[in-house]
Amino acid sequence: MATATVRPRKRGRPSGPRVAPYGFLAPAGILFALIFALPIGYAVYLSLRKVEIKGLGLGKNARHEVWAGLSNYTGVLSDHELFAGALRILGYGAIVVPTMLGLALLFALMLDSKHTRAGGFSRLAIFLPYAVPGVVAALLWGFLYLPTVSPFTYLLDKLGLPEPDLFSSGLLFGSLANIAVWGGTGFNMIVIYTSLRAISPDIYEAARIDGASELQIALRIKIPTVAPALILTFFFSVIATFQVFSEPTTLKPLTNAISTTWSPLMKVYQDAFVRGDIYSAAATSVVIAIVTLVLSFGFLKAANSRTDQGAS
Amino acid sequence: MSATAVARPEVRTASDTARRRGLRRLGLIPTVVLLLGAAYCLLPVAWVLVASTKSSSELFSTFTFLPGSGLADNVKELSAYRDGVYWQWMLNSLFYAGLGALLSTAVSALSGYALAKYRFRGRETIFNVLLTGVLMPPVILAIPQYLLMAKADLADSYLSVLLPSILSPYGIYLARIYAAAAVPDDVVEAARMDGAREWGIFSRIGLPMMLPGLVTVFLFQFVAIWNNFLLPFIMLGDDEKFPVTLGLYTLLQQGASAPALYTLVITGAMLAIVPLIALFLVIQRFWSLDLLSGAVKS
Amino acid sequence: MRNSLIAKATVAVLGAALLAGCSSSSDSTPKAEDTGPVSLTYWAWAPGLDKVVDIWNKKNPNIKVTVKKQASGDDLVTKIITASKAHKAPDLVQAEFQALPTLVSNDVLADISSEAGSAKSEFADGVWQQVTLGSDALYAIPQDTGPLMFYYRQDLFKKYGLTVPKTWDDFAATARALKKKDSKRSLTTFSSNDAGLFAGLAQQAGAKWWTTSGDKWNVGIDDAASKKVADFWGGLVKEGAVDNQPMYTPAWNKALNTGTQIAWVSAVWAPGVLTTAAPDTKGKWAMAPLPQWSAGENKTGSWGGSTTGITTDSKHKAAAAKFATWLNTDPEAVAALVKNGGIYPAATTAQTGSALSTAPEFFSNQPTFYTDAAAIAKTTAAGAWGPNVNVAYSAFKDAFGKAAQNKTDFTSALDSMQSTTVADLKKQGFTVG
Repeated sequence: MATATVRPRKRGRPSGPRVAPYGFLAPAGILFALIFALPIGYAVYLSLRKVEIKGLGLGKNARHEVWAGLSNYTGVLSDHELFAGALRILGYGAIVVPTMLGLALLFALMLDSKHTRAGGFSRLAIFLPYAVPGVVAALLWGFLYLPTVSPFTYLLDKLGLPEPDLFSSGLLFGSLANIAVWGGTGFNMIVIYTSLRAISPDIYEAARIDGASELQIALRIKIPTVAPALILTFFFSVIATFQVFSEPTTLKPLTNAISTTWSPLMKVYQDAFVRGDIYSAAATSVVIAIVTLVLSFGFLKAANSRTDQGAS
Repeated sequence: MSATAVARPEVRTASDTARRRGLRRLGLIPTVVLLLGAAYCLLPVAWVLVASTKSSSELFSTFTFLPGSGLADNVKELSAYRDGVYWQWMLNSLFYAGLGALLSTAVSALSGYALAKYRFRGRETIFNVLLTGVLMPPVILAIPQYLLMAKADLADSYLSVLLPSILSPYGIYLARIYAAAAVPDDVVEAARMDGAREWGIFSRIGLPMMLPGLVTVFLFQFVAIWNNFLLPFIMLGDDEKFPVTLGLYTLLQQGASAPALYTLVITGAMLAIVPLIALFLVIQRFWSLDLLSGAVKS
Repeated sequence: MRNSLIAKATVAVLGAALLAGCSSSSDSTPKAEDTGPVSLTYWAWAPGLDKVVDIWNKKNPNIKVTVKKQASGDDLVTKIITASKAHKAPDLVQAEFQALPTLVSNDVLADISSEAGSAKSEFADGVWQQVTLGSDALYAIPQDTGPLMFYYRQDLFKKYGLTVPKTWDDFAATARALKKKDSKRSLTTFSSNDAGLFAGLAQQAGAKWWTTSGDKWNVGIDDAASKKVADFWGGLVKEGAVDNQPMYTPAWNKALNTGTQIAWVSAVWAPGVLTTAAPDTKGKWAMAPLPQWSAGENKTGSWGGSTTGITTDSKHKAAAAKFATWLNTDPEAVAALVKNGGIYPAATTAQTGSALSTAPEFFSNQPTFYTDAAAIAKTTAAGAWGPNVNVAYSAFKDAFGKAAQNKTDFTSALDSMQSTTVADLKKQGFTVG
């Protein structure tokens, strides 16, 4: 390993450091172009097209793809169901994001505290839901929620307590949010925990010598230091919330309470996969993406300015 | 990140003794909180384990957490389904997730290192653009990706699922953080002064320092690819290439005239979670090595 | 790095392809059929199909068919349409009757009237008309049908002194009587998740949801017959005489298994579902004809049923058509389909043939099961489908889901379903009358 032998700096830096970063980023760049940029471009292109039908529309050459201008977009922006879906996920997100990140932060702090027992086991256990595929998780929670097969209603019944209808309009958001929180807390916990571990313990020692209690250390040192990690997990959680799709979709067959367009992304799926209208679906997705972009770029800017202040 | 990364020595001073009793009491709260969290997270997993031991009549007639008697039968039935295609699905998932995560970690490591250790024009722009790749919902990307793959004659191939899985913006972000925290600038500078080439610095100095963090990136991406449903659903027509998630889905969606094979799906799900648990336990070893222990202290 | 080389090459190809335009015009020049060995792919979801295909492969080493099992449902239709757009569709595909106009409209299915038109004699007129779409072309070979009938728990009907309903009025009376005797049980449930069932019941009442007049499509989802059916069930749900929870859920399985629900309006393939959903009730069910709207009538509708189609992408249409005809008309093939897939064959002779000589195991208490079924099948009213059935079904789920949940008026749900379907047809560019 190279030691810190100090040599006088040469004049004229080698060109390596100037070219290398671009070279290192090339694979990611090429993949990005292929996997995201090109399909996104194609999706935007599709959002400006539509299909024209001749006659009854059966048989060869009955369908033609033609230019649609912005008609798909006007359709999207005047769609009441889409707007209602957006409001629903705002409510849903208001439950999921604070709960999930709050729990993730709490668990990360607990893991990081001295003298915690069974930390390894707990860390593994809390991360485990992330490993369960969405299809399976929904089946699981379906069994746990449906009154006649659920152990909870069984136990509540035995105890003589009232059994809540987890699919009623009052509790539905909570039931759906629970699945997301259950699945995502572990992941976020690990991210926050890892950035907690990067803090030098000397800082803690100094604080303890100054008489700070564990709680004060947590509030005044730990949380502010992991703020960048919190901000970025917040960013990704918000995006995931705006794009919520698998939880309502897989619970939908079990109950009457969820419509096929409950979340905006379900509407995109409906348009693309059920109605066969990839064009409206593309337009809706572009609108969703732009809204998400606008709302989250602010956070990203804040996060970047903070991380830039730190050494890099 | 403002702190530099150092190993954590176990510091015991005399003044600790006086506070030890108090600290131990404090240790109770985190432990209890964590165990409660663990119980909440494990509950559905426990359900899967118990449910997979039940035969189909027991599944709907006995109390949820009472173990049944049908585990061996369920596994046998699952293996007999379409001549053992379930195990092919597991192998496929291992392939997609294992190779995909490996390649993804490599790309993330390269990109994260570049973003963290160099100052160059367009650095933040590139980073932001990479991150915003996640903004477009995968649901709408799936069909264009399929059509483009089809034009390249790659549709319904292993590559069609593997390629899109390699780029992970979150992995790049994490790798960037690790590189910034674990690879000190002066070590890089020193190596540069010694005449080392950039690639050499990265592969021989930076990479080993980033390794514990890269393990996390690998794990995240492995699980994400393992669980991915929509991409393989659209890309693959040949069910011998399906990953486990998609395969289990076909067991649930057999049409109105054929019932959902709940017991097979539950048993299949249980068996699919096992490799992931095994992976976690193996990875735990790397995690318990103190993270970010740098070779050089500043 | 190898990665970037492949990637760069791919970019070049894709870029060129995009620039060249993404229009897909299907190949219209018919190719001369090869005489050498041929390999066909078949996308299907029917259980046990590969065992049937094995029989064909042994007998026809020159035409090898491979089954690629898919998940059934709406997404499969889109998946095959997408694959067809990219000219990557398989040779053969299992398509439900109601999906045929959508598939034909997207130019997915080829016209095989010259290769397989002679199969017409094997099927009832009502069935055949659904695969020709009323034209001279032939788009698929019928595989299985699902005539509706009434299943009930014989033992529980006896216990509560209930009579098997012959009309829908009787049905309502039976439902109420059961509730009076035991409020914890229901006769059955109304499921907003299963538009196919509702469509079949509407067919029985005489509804024709999609019709054409010249170049125009007409949507009749809210016609008088459908309104009658909607009001009937809406009333029962509102009263609480039947349950309102979806079918095909774990809770529903349990309800059937424990006798919380004691009857099921379902199709001829119900034994297969009951075997897995309610294994503890084996031998306790009986099957009777569907209740009628007026006494003495004899009609039923259809729930589900699928066909085998050959795609426009297929390079071996004649060979594929030969296989499809064999699969759905040859006695040995049909017997294997029944045995392995639990389906009810559409071919008329098979319905009374040897494959169905014994009752299904689950209904060992009713040895005349299939004879009765064949008689009922003869009375099936034909379905009338259009190019946006998926949309209508999806609108059904939303509108009737809400109505069932809130126990509100089913007629307005029906109207909502009608307007959504019409609006979508217009939006897609069809001319709607």
